[in-house]
Amino acid sequence: MSAVVPTRTRPAGRSPEKVKAPRRPVYTVVGILILAFMLFPLYWMVNVSLQPAGNAVATPWLPFDFTLRGYTTAISEQGRNLVTSLLISLGSVVFSLLVATPAAYAMAHFKLGRWATVILFGILITQMVPGIVVANALYSAYSDLGLLNTLPGLVLADSAAGIPFSIILMRAFMGGIPASIVEAAYVDGAGHVRAFFSIVLPMSRNALITAGLFTFLFAWGDFLFALTLTTTADLRPITLGLYTYVGSFVADWSPIMATAVLSSLPAIALLVLAQRYVAAGVTGGAVKS
Amino acid sequence: MARHSIRRGTSGRTRAGLAALLVLPLALGACGGGAKGGSAAGSSSDTLRVLDYYNSEPNASLWNEAIEACGKTVGMKISREAVPGETLIQKVLQQSSSRTLPDVLMLDNPDVQQIAASGALAPLDDLGVDSSGVAEGVLKASTYEGKLYGLQPVTNTIALFYNKKLLDAAGVTPPATWDELKAAAAKLTSGDQYGFAMSNVNTYEGTWQFLPFMWSNGGDEKDIATPQVAAALQLDKDLLTSGSMSQSSVNWTQADVADQFAAGKAAMMINGPWNFGTLDEAEGLEYGIVPIPVPQAGGKAVSPFGGEAWTVPQTGDEAKQKKAAELVQCLNSDENEVKISLGTGTVPTKPALAGQVTSQNPNLTAFADQVPELRARTGELGPDWPKAATKIYTAVQNALVGGMTPEEALKQAQDG
Amino acid sequence: MAEVAAFQRTTSPSVVEPAGRGSRHRLRTRLVEVAFIVPAVVYLVLFFGYPVVKNVVMGFQEYTTKTFYTGEAPWVGLENYRNVLGNAIFDRSLLNTLLFTAGSIAGQFVLGLAIALFFHKRFALSGVLRSLILLPWLIPMIAGTAVWRWILDTDNGALNRILSAVPGLDVHPDWLTSTSLALVAVIGVNIWLGIPFNMTILYGGLQEIPEELYEAGALDGATGWRAFRHITWPMLRPVVTVVLVLGVVYTLKVLDVILGLTNGGPANSTQTISTFSYDMSFRQFDFGAGAALGNVLIVISLVFAVVYLRLNRKAVDE
Repeated sequence: MSAVVPTRTRPAGRSPEKVKAPRRPVYTVVGILILAFMLFPLYWMVNVSLQPAGNAVATPWLPFDFTLRGYTTAISEQGRNLVTSLLISLGSVVFSLLVATPAAYAMAHFKLGRWATVILFGILITQMVPGIVVANALYSAYSDLGLLNTLPGLVLADSAAGIPFSIILMRAFMGGIPASIVEAAYVDGAGHVRAFFSIVLPMSRNALITAGLFTFLFAWGDFLFALTLTTTADLRPITLGLYTYVGSFVADWSPIMATAVLSSLPAIALLVLAQRYVAAGVTGGAVKS
Repeated sequence: MARHSIRRGTSGRTRAGLAALLVLPLALGACGGGAKGGSAAGSSSDTLRVLDYYNSEPNASLWNEAIEACGKTVGMKISREAVPGETLIQKVLQQSSSRTLPDVLMLDNPDVQQIAASGALAPLDDLGVDSSGVAEGVLKASTYEGKLYGLQPVTNTIALFYNKKLLDAAGVTPPATWDELKAAAAKLTSGDQYGFAMSNVNTYEGTWQFLPFMWSNGGDEKDIATPQVAAALQLDKDLLTSGSMSQSSVNWTQADVADQFAAGKAAMMINGPWNFGTLDEAEGLEYGIVPIPVPQAGGKAVSPFGGEAWTVPQTGDEAKQKKAAELVQCLNSDENEVKISLGTGTVPTKPALAGQVTSQNPNLTAFADQVPELRARTGELGPDWPKAATKIYTAVQNALVGGMTPEEALKQAQDG
Repeated sequence: MAEVAAFQRTTSPSVVEPAGRGSRHRLRTRLVEVAFIVPAVVYLVLFFGYPVVKNVVMGFQEYTTKTFYTGEAPWVGLENYRNVLGNAIFDRSLLNTLLFTAGSIAGQFVLGLAIALFFHKRFALSGVLRSLILLPWLIPMIAGTAVWRWILDTDNGALNRILSAVPGLDVHPDWLTSTSLALVAVIGVNIWLGIPFNMTILYGGLQEIPEELYEAGALDGATGWRAFRHITWPMLRPVVTVVLVLGVVYTLKVLDVILGLTNGGPANSTQTISTFSYDMSFRQFDFGAGAALGNVLIVISLVFAVVYLRLNRKAVDE
């Protein structure tokens, strides 16, 4: 595991006193304590998912009397929904970054004058709109366009959080790239497009990944669009699939919790991978002065 | 405003490009849409689209069987969608605005008048549906401005469940009056075990649980700021302040209440027959069911009834609506009422069929006996019921934990 | 450092255009520039413009279940606003919204920043631990809030079981069911949920600060708190602005956390404008009133954004 650490370090020799730090075990202990505190509810979820009763009334601290009923149910019934969720979330990341990255760059480095403020404020307003308002309006439009129950339809809708967020975030980060570096590219005769690809993108890797990460999480957690823009079981993200176990009268918590636990596993793998990549990308920051 | 920023220095070419961009997502969608296409799928003339919220067992498969069988009877194919309960109304509203309502729609009975008032439902009388034999109160819930819009095959209501072992151990007999209820609950409370549990949650579930107390004491939803309702609320509050009922009841759904009861943390509870499954799974639990205690001995418990009605939306296709009405009629046949009642722990809405059900499942007797007396939540206020229901649960919460007396809470709620 | 972009920046560093080309070239450059931003603008107009306009209009209409079918929504002027603003629950909701937002943001930001600074020091497993902190975001809300309800349960919840195990402490707080504690508990859960967001973005910001600044600062004796005040905080400012402004805007409209934990109760003690709006629209079917409340929420967000950005611009200018 510790092999992970060197990959995210800055180039060796840049900060001597920091290079010594990695081996301080106190920090690791404190880090684990912070994590334990943050993840206790998740432990409780795992605990409940293994309990036969699957409810809150008298859950013991440890699941000694455990059953895998919740998990077998979840695996057999929710596998497909999990794939759907992953496809939608990844699709949303790709689409959001494609749309947001050039816009963020433009807003950080083009001479847009007051329009930059206007657009930025417009984007900010979009973040104030309650999701339910958007969902209701989209339904009728989607219905007319045949976008209901389609993967592209959900990808587009689930980008509604990711795109504005990514623009705002990446603009803040890209603004940090000194204009002199970007300008140097123009002096070299490169246009906007080449400066964007050869200078800005490599230098913004960290921001790109942070934006992509949250876009993934926004799309992953979406329930509202899944609910309003699908009408059949053929295309059903996991957040909605969970409701299979919430009956009209009773809820079967054990498979709900098991599904929640299982569904987070592939996403965890993605997160850990992404963070390693972020770390590797940081070295790109060395270009900056 | 976005347009303006674009126009600055644009040529005709970019505008064309802009137009292309506008169309692009739509084109993408069209490719991916394929045959599945939207909610209008299955609009072929030999298929009936059915929408309901029976998404969990045993309801899901039992209803599926009944609907498929009835589809055969009326000579139509079935395309059924079962959504999670809470999401049904939203779906119905969306579909009514985009004119994609299904051919047959299931609605929770207090919602029928609301949707009927919008004009989205077809009157069943006009489609030749026969409702004879169904209890008066049940029909009232599905009737709007003199016309019947829904037909409900089975119903349920709530009663008092008690834990036989705990009551025997404490030497308590199941209470029949409010005073007995308070005494029994107090006696059954010890350690981490509460004598009594019900849902006082701030949703319609809380209102539904409070109604039997309110109605049995002569209270009325048109004006809740009355001594009758206050006395019922005082009972609820006394149970809480005396410690016989957990304060958590203000955040408990009925399912939570059943979990408490099943775990032996509550000796008695107000709940419905849909919990039989959960309760039967609890090890060593023996329970009995009696009617909800009434204010004075000899009084009659008046309870609201639950369950869903089948309706036929206005889809504009008259031939199909006829077929849909036949399907609704078929779902309400004597045979189906009995079969579904037994399978889902409900009782038939036709009192004449009660005997066939209770003879096979005696647990349902306490519920079946109440059918002729059941009162519709929307019986008096119709589509205005949601406002009244909100007032009732708000008052309950304010009196229980909001520091108000029942009278104050009810007055404040009534005045808005 | 002055080049750091914040929200309010109205002028961007000018881009030097290659000299000696004609206006045709300038036009082409302009077109390229427009092409960078057009997809985003188009998307935003399609997915937000229409809904917002619709919601504003809806606030002035009698919009009920009937409207969905008939399409008829009579114009009622300001009646929806009069009704919701005059409602006894509104004042309570407004206060709760402000308390909920202020409490959540303060908690999330301070803890998020503290954890980000902590993880900025490198140590064994720091990367893995840091990415695992995002886990709460992967849990579907229905499962997350259910677990919290069980943890916070008065009689059997894990929290009170831990508290009662503390010697000499005999308390069983009604976390979710007393009118005085419920809001605190709900804020606590929302802080838990918000820490990953704050931590991750602030951490990203910390990473962008060139190491050389600290090295130079250290020569001038700026270490520890002074390094934070004079180097970290000013450099982090644009990211802080993003986190705070978005945090407030997101928190103001939080709905599912509250619905899942307390549903606005008990006795409306956790009712916010957002839950009140939901209740009006989807429980009482008064969509006009629900939209009016939604618009009130948008206005509050706007006021906050304008005030914050003004203040921030002043601070940066000084």
